[in-house]
Amino acid sequence: MARTLAMFTDTSLCIGCRACQVACKQWNELPMEQPVWTGSYQNQLHFTDKTYRLVRFIEQPQANGDLQWLLMSDVCKHCVQAGCLDACPTGAIYRTEFGTVNINQDVCNGCRYCVSSCPFGVVSFNHDTGRANKCTFCNDRIHNGLGPACAKTCPTESIQFGFRDELAGKADKRVAKLKEQGFANAQLYGADTKGPLGGLNAFFLLLDKPSTYGLPDKPLLPQRNVLADSLMAVGAALVVGVGALMAFRERGGKGGDDA
Amino acid sequence: MLRSPEWHLLIVWYFFLGGIAGGAYFTAAIADTFGSSRDKNVVRFGYILALLLIGLCGILLILDLGTPSRFLNMLLHFKFWDPMSIGAWMLGVFGLFAFVSSALSLSNDASRARLRRGVSLVGTISGFFLASYTGVLLSNSALPFWSESRFMGALFLASGASTGMAAISLLLFLAGESAGEGFKKVKRADRFAMIFELIVLAVFLAALGAGAAPLLSGSLAPLFWGGLVVLGLLIPLGLDFVGSKVRALGAVAAALVLVGGFILRYVIVMANA
Repeated sequence: MARTLAMFTDTSLCIGCRACQVACKQWNELPMEQPVWTGSYQNQLHFTDKTYRLVRFIEQPQANGDLQWLLMSDVCKHCVQAGCLDACPTGAIYRTEFGTVNINQDVCNGCRYCVSSCPFGVVSFNHDTGRANKCTFCNDRIHNGLGPACAKTCPTESIQFGFRDELAGKADKRVAKLKEQGFANAQLYGADTKGPLGGLNAFFLLLDKPSTYGLPDKPLLPQRNVLADSLMAVGAALVVGVGALMAFRERGGKGGDDA
Repeated sequence: MLRSPEWHLLIVWYFFLGGIAGGAYFTAAIADTFGSSRDKNVVRFGYILALLLIGLCGILLILDLGTPSRFLNMLLHFKFWDPMSIGAWMLGVFGLFAFVSSALSLSNDASRARLRRGVSLVGTISGFFLASYTGVLLSNSALPFWSESRFMGALFLASGASTGMAAISLLLFLAGESAGEGFKKVKRADRFAMIFELIVLAVFLAALGAGAAPLLSGSLAPLFWGGLVVLGLLIPLGLDFVGSKVRALGAVAAALVLVGGFILRYVIVMANA
């Protein structure tokens, strides 16, 4: 496996220009879609099968009547433990040698299990093609020595692309600096490989708690439920089975010998 | 922000009919192994019903795919931790068992009956699996409500049992076999399954706590309480106990159990539609 690649989105540097969103659309040839009134400059409300990069505009009214914006360019997290990848029954969702998570459009059959398995609601069903779509980490570009289109185009270096270990070191320094400057809630999201989901290969620097940005504080792998649920089902099967056995058993003699 | 997989009526029907298929199969197999020759039609109807339904289930699942022509891609991999993957494989395994058991149940030959019992006893595992894995499949999800209780698989299994048995008893009634010993036995097993289902449902809701709101207080609540709890479980149980001598009441009860089984899958799937 090649050295793990990552994207580090530093929201403190985002100016909300949405160049990343546009570059993503253009490089990946994503068609236009109906705009949605979200009450702010944000468009769309959430990722769609045609929007893989999405700048979120979070408005925070201040005590003095001003409005403060939190801006965040959101994207598929390329989780180290990816719920979508584990859920995919066809193997269409796979991990590349760079550690990113991609959907092979030639294999996906549109069962949509990945959609409900993503802890971030990233994977979207494309009704036109009948397959699931999400950010590819510009799979074609990274296999040709280029960074993702969004990172390439970002004018403020809010989106940085590079090797994961190097970016994580940079991110640590950046958080320390922001805290020094008075951003008390500055924090990294997904940078820690010992954290939830084994870390995120697209990780973030946030200026407020994750839920402010619509991110789960502690994202969980859906597959955590399978074993316990299965054991309960086995228990239930035993109860039901014994019940049926009692009902059909021949009392006072052995049965079942005659056809 | 989380996202719905947009599973709708095709999946509701699949969960419902797959539950019946699994329930009917293991009921038939248990009757086959531990019952007597007087239960012959329970066995026959159970196996054949399972076979017909599993074929229908396959069609429903293929139609629900975004790209139906690629349904065989489900068999490109085997992921033992993934309910969808094992489910796709087990659908085929169950179909095979249902076919062999059905075919062997048509003959009265003793050696074939022995073979059938052996095959069906092993197949029972696939029947239990089919009735319950759909619940586990739902709870293997990032969505709240589906993923917050550890009893979804158990609940689906109990419902698969009660509806599978109800379906067999209804078939027996329609075939004019309701006077037989088999009808009485399958009704007895069904009563047990219904009581167990009520208990599991209560545990399921208790474990969900506030997470049960989509069922208890949302727009699906009237259907849940009226359709499933009252019409689909309490009334048929009452009919069975009060009117256990009147066979037509038993058939009405069985029909209501089937309606309740459908509503259970409907409210649970649609809560995240």
